Amino acid sequence: MKLLSLSYENFRNLAQVTLEPSAHTTVAVGENGQGKTNLLEGVYFLATLKALRASKLLELVRFGQTFSRVSGRFSLGGAEREIAVEIRNGVRTAFVDGKRAQSLESYFGGVSVVAFTPDDLSVVKGSPEGRRTFLDRAVFNRFPAFLDESREYQRALKSRNRLLKDRAPFAHLSAWDATVAKVGARLWVRRRALLGELATGVVEAFSRIGRTEAPAQLLYAPERLAGVDFATASEEQLMHALAAGLDARLQRDWERGFTSVGPHVDDVELKLGEHSARAYASQGQSRALVLAWKVAEIENLQRTSGFLPLLLLDDVSSELDPERNAFLMQYLANSGAQVLLTTTDAQLVRSAAGADTRWYKVKTGLVEAVDG
Amino acid sequence: MTPDALNRLVAQLAKLPGIGEKTAQRLAFHVLRAPAEYARGLSAALLDVVDHVSLCPKCFSLCDKAHPQCGFCSDTRRDDKLLCVVEGIADELALERTREFKGRYHVLHGVLSPLEGVGPDQLRIRELLTRLQDTDVEEVILATNPDVEGEATALYLTRLLKPMGIKVTRLAQGIPMGGDLEFADQATLARALSARRDI
Ligand SMILES: Nc1ncnc2c1ncn2[C@@H]1O[C@H](COP(=O)(O)OP(=O)(O)OP(=O)(O)O)[C@@H](O)[C@H]1O
Ligand SMILES: [Mg+2]
Ligand SMILES: [Zn+2]
Repeated sequence: MKLLSLSYENFRNLAQVTLEPSAHTTVAVGENGQGKTNLLEGVYFLATLKALRASKLLELVRFGQTFSRVSGRFSLGGAEREIAVEIRNGVRTAFVDGKRAQSLESYFGGVSVVAFTPDDLSVVKGSPEGRRTFLDRAVFNRFPAFLDESREYQRALKSRNRLLKDRAPFAHLSAWDATVAKVGARLWVRRRALLGELATGVVEAFSRIGRTEAPAQLLYAPERLAGVDFATASEEQLMHALAAGLDARLQRDWERGFTSVGPHVDDVELKLGEHSARAYASQGQSRALVLAWKVAEIENLQRTSGFLPLLLLDDVSSELDPERNAFLMQYLANSGAQVLLTTTDAQLVRSAAGADTRWYKVKTGLVEAVDG
Repeated sequence: MTPDALNRLVAQLAKLPGIGEKTAQRLAFHVLRAPAEYARGLSAALLDVVDHVSLCPKCFSLCDKAHPQCGFCSDTRRDDKLLCVVEGIADELALERTREFKGRYHVLHGVLSPLEGVGPDQLRIRELLTRLQDTDVEEVILATNPDVEGEATALYLTRLLKPMGIKVTRLAQGIPMGGDLEFADQATLARALSARRDI
């Protein structure tokens, strides 16, 4: 998969921008607040239909406008295809070769991106919610159907919470318990599958980056899951276990008006050897851990899909110490992946650049090609 | 300034779902330019629909007011042992187009949706239960959509129907993702119907 060209129309502060990325590295350089992240956010939105940082779609539309569009030409398995996403009056619509996409599969059909932002670097020490989001992005990259599945789960969960608050009759509530259990078990299975695939890659990548003897580990086990072994249970067993969990906590949930068990309350535990990284890892170790996760994720996507994802790195270098930045730049240069990098300081990323690197300068939402 | 009569027509048309102000205007101009018989025919058809069409008291499909029951309920060739429960009329018509289903229908007129304030009392569920007391129905096919609301509704009904000793099945999942029954193509629907599963 290669991204051949990109265009933006009224996306954030980008009124009208076109880019022709290199097959390898493309660097957007600019001062703070000029639109570098917006460029990457547009690609992320195009490739995932999800916002990278916005909480509302409307935030993506340029101030004073009602319509926004990002499109890209991709080379996919020898064929060239154009995918596009539009936001019109707050509604998002996806297109493949000019026609409305019929299904998410037809839309994603082989396009995959992995984004890496400074926010990701704080995931080890941050909140469980941050870790869930981080994990779920990776799950979605691996299993695009997860987008719909997690939306369904959110909807089922919200419905159940509403019934709890409204003190709905038990017969009605229990139909939603069963629905939450069914879609929730699916999320568990997806997360488990991804983490299983990443486990050895993370250890391996961490030992390459870290100056840390202890091996890195990702652990995930649902809270309060009684009666089954999470690692080996079937989806159906997990569904029954979640249903039982919902049942066991019904009284409590009823009193508080929200659901206290399920994939939405779980956490990923990151460990260095025996110790929790959240509690004990140094700043540098936590960042190395995130970097290792990302590298493992990229390599796993390559292994499972047969091609490298498009990599989006938003000003990550300025947050890494020189040694870890050097590792990352070297990794990018050797990986052969197509990479879009942003930076305020071209020097920081120069070692990832080669003869075919394209350089762009970003200023007040305008983007122009420049010499490196 | 456009005449009041035209403005009134545009305003009425614009209340239709999926019709914006501009389209409403285009439609109104079209009516205006067409021979007067067209407008007369249209208004007569509109009145007829409200005067003569109602919901069947048995299955809640559309029904001619002059008849005691709808066409599905009164058709003697249909199988009384099979009852298919759908969310709405559009789903019923989609299933009917497959020409595979020869049983009876029951239209819920919605699905359970706490987020939209729809509970069991807002649907034709009580009527379904009443209808199923001392009937010949042996199998109820739950053909609600495969989204979470459709699933929850099917589960809710299953728990009510099973204790009555009725076999309950659910359409197999062959429906395209993000797609509703109404839009599913006929081949997919026919497959979903024949591969229905017990729940
Ligand atoms: N919907 C929008 N319409 C117009 N401008 C917007 C919109 N959303 C954000 N902006 C503007 O985009 C600019 C920020 O762009 P961006 O986040 O890409 O900056 P950046 O170049 O990545 O900066 P930094 O180096 O600080 O991260 C701000 O000036 C902001 O006001
Ligand atoms: Mg930025
Ligand atoms: Zn009828």
